[in-house]
Amino acid sequence: MKSIFFHLMPYPELPPDFPEQHRSVWVDIDPKLYDPTVGHQTYNAYLDQLEFAAECGFDAVGINEHHSNGYGLMPSPNIIAAALSRNCPDTNIVVLGDSVALYNPPLRVAEEIAMLDGITGGRMIAGFPVGSPMDTIYAYGQNPATLRERYHEGVDLIRQAWTSDEVFSFNGNYNKLRYVNVWPRPVQQPHPPIWIPGGGSVDTWDWCAAEDLVYCYLSYFGYKAGLRTMQGFWKKVQELGKETNPFQGGFAQFIAVADTEAEAWDLYREPAEYFFNTCLHVYAGYADPPGYKTPNTVRAGVEGMVERAAREATARREANAADAAKAGSAKPSYGSKKLTFEDMVEKGYIILGNPTQVTEQVHELATTMNVGHLMVFSHFGNMEPELVKMNTEMYATQVMPEVAGLFEDDYEDHWWPKTDHQLAPVGSRAQ
Amino acid sequence: MNAGAPLAGHFAPGTLPYRDGHIGIVELGDGPTVGYLHGMLGNPGVHAVLEELAAAGHRVVAPSLPGFTGSSEPDGLRTLHDWVVATSEVVDLAGLAGAPLVASSVGAMLALELAAVRPEAFGSMVLVSPFGLWDDNDPVADPFGTTLSVQRAMLTEDTAASAAFFDDPADLPADMVVEHGVHRYLTRTAAAQLIWPLPEWGLAERLHRVTNPVTLVHGAKDRIIPVSYLERWAEALTNVVGTHVVDDAGHQADFDQPGQVARIAAAALG
Repeated sequence: MKSIFFHLMPYPELPPDFPEQHRSVWVDIDPKLYDPTVGHQTYNAYLDQLEFAAECGFDAVGINEHHSNGYGLMPSPNIIAAALSRNCPDTNIVVLGDSVALYNPPLRVAEEIAMLDGITGGRMIAGFPVGSPMDTIYAYGQNPATLRERYHEGVDLIRQAWTSDEVFSFNGNYNKLRYVNVWPRPVQQPHPPIWIPGGGSVDTWDWCAAEDLVYCYLSYFGYKAGLRTMQGFWKKVQELGKETNPFQGGFAQFIAVADTEAEAWDLYREPAEYFFNTCLHVYAGYADPPGYKTPNTVRAGVEGMVERAAREATARREANAADAAKAGSAKPSYGSKKLTFEDMVEKGYIILGNPTQVTEQVHELATTMNVGHLMVFSHFGNMEPELVKMNTEMYATQVMPEVAGLFEDDYEDHWWPKTDHQLAPVGSRAQ
Repeated sequence: MNAGAPLAGHFAPGTLPYRDGHIGIVELGDGPTVGYLHGMLGNPGVHAVLEELAAAGHRVVAPSLPGFTGSSEPDGLRTLHDWVVATSEVVDLAGLAGAPLVASSVGAMLALELAAVRPEAFGSMVLVSPFGLWDDNDPVADPFGTTLSVQRAMLTEDTAASAAFFDDPADLPADMVVEHGVHRYLTRTAAAQLIWPLPEWGLAERLHRVTNPVTLVHGAKDRIIPVSYLERWAEALTNVVGTHVVDDAGHQADFDQPGQVARIAAAALG
C-alpha cells in the first residue's frame, strides 16, 4: 500500500470565536481575517512539512485545490507542486487535483502537469476533480447545470492532448481550439496516472470503473463513514466484470500517532478541534446548488462529503443560536454543540494511538475498504510544526513499514509512476 | 432530451412530445387563449393563477420549459441562445404563437429574449418580476447560495403559496416521492442554469426590439429582485402600458396573490 503525505494547507489563525461570529469558512469568509504575514509564514512552514515528509520516505506528497477557503490555501496546486518539484527529487507528487472545468482552456492543466512531469523526471500523478460546489459554483461562478459536462469535456481534451502525436483541432461544446499541441510533452508515456477525487457521485463511480481510473474518496469523516462510498465504487467495478484491484482506490484519513495513546489524546486535541469545528464551519447553503448533483445521485440519496460537513456545521450553529435565544442571550455560545475530540476518534474521523494501534487501524481501513492508496493527513487544523514533524516521522518510520506490503504481492499498481520510466535527477537536484 | 427522465407525477397533467423527450403542459378553461410561461417554480400541476385566469374567461395554456416540472431533462441546452430557440419551439408546440402571454420570473426573461428576436411570438405581455437587468448598486439577490428552506422563503412571501411545488401530496406513492424530489431538483437546476451566476445576459441591449405592449407586475416584498427594478423595467422597455405593485407578494407574485395577478392580467389582455 502506498502512503501519500497529504496537506490541505489550512489558515492556522482563525479567531477562536469564528464559528460564532462568521457564517462560513468557505466562499464568503471575511477577507479581513487574512494576515499576509501569517500567510507568508504558513506557506513556508507547510512547504517545509511536505519536504520533510518526502525525506522521511513517504511514497508521495499530495496537494489539492480550493478557492476562497480558510482551510485550503492552495488556489493553485500546481504552484505548490512546482515549489516542491526541485526540493523533493526522489518523491512522487500527487496533485489531487486540478479542477479541470475552472481552467480556460483546460489545456493549461495538460501543459502544467507536463511541465511538472518534465522537472521531476516523471514523478507526477494528475488528479482531476469536478471540484466542490463552493470552489466551482460559488467562488468561480460556474453554472451548476453545465459544470459536469464541461468537466468531462475538459478531461477528454487533456487526455487527447497528452496522447496525440499530431497537432489537432478540438471542437467541444465549451472549448473550441483550432490548434491543440501540448509542448512540452510529459515524461510518462502515454501520460501521468490519472486519479479522480470523488465526493459520492454515483456517476463518478461508473465513470472511474468504466475508464479504469483511480477513484479517490477524500473524506474528512474517516474510514468507518467512508466505507459505504468505497463499496459503491467497488460494486460498479464488479458489475463490469473487472478486477477489484485495491490500487484503483484511494482514501484520505487523519492520523495522530504518539508514543502512547494517552499522549496522543493530549497532543492532538487542539488541532483536531480547530479543524473540525472551525475549518469545517461551512454554510450549508453553499453545499448543494441545484444541478451540481446528477439525477442519479439525487435519486440514490447519496450525500457528498462537503455537503455533510456543511449540513452538520450549520445545524450546530443554528442549535447554538437557539440555545442562546432560550437563555436570553444575543450571542450564541459555541461550546455546547461543538464536535468533541472523543467523537472524532470514536467515529473514526481520526485514527489515533500509539504506533501499534495506528497500524492496526490503518490495516483495517485498507482491507475493509480495499484501498491501496492512502492519503495521510499528518497535519491537520492548526497543528504546531514540531508536532507535525513528530506525527509525520512516527508514521513514516513505525506505521508505514508495517502496511507498505499490503496488496503489493497480489496486485500490480497500474496507477503509479513507473520507476523504470523515470529520469534520474539532474543538475543541482542530483546532489 | 433524456428519454430516461423521471415520471412527472402530479406536476404534469399532460405532455407533448418534444425533441427526444417531452414537455409537460397544463391546459384549462374556455375562451380566448392566453399563454403562461412559468417562473422558478415551474408549473406544479394546475396551480392557482392558472385557475384564476381560466375563471376570468380565458383558455390558459401553460407549457413547462425543458427541465422544469413535468418536462424531460434538457439535453443540448447550454447557452442562452439554445434556451431562446427552445422557448420558441415550445411556444409553437403549445399553439401559443401570437397569443397574449402572462410570464413570470425566468419565464418572463425568456419571453423578452424571444420577443427581441421574434416580435410576433407574442401579443400583449404581462410580466411578473422578470429577471434580466442588473444594477451594481441594487443587486438582485442570490436565490441559490442558500439552504432550500431559505430559498423557499425567498420565492414567495407566504411559504404556503409554494406548497404545490415543495410539498408532496400526502397520498403520493412512495416511489413517486423520490421521482418528485428528482423533478424538483431538475426544475431548480433549470432555473439556476438561466440565472447563474448573475441574471444579466445583455438583455438591456436588445430590449429596443421588444415593441409588444407590456404590463409590469412586481411583488412589493420580492426578496430576490428588489421592487425598485419595476422602475428600471419601465424605463428600459419601449411600450409599457401599465405597472402594478402587488402587496403581500414576494418574487412569485403569481403564487402569492394569484387572484390579483389574474385580475391585472385579464384587464391588460382583454
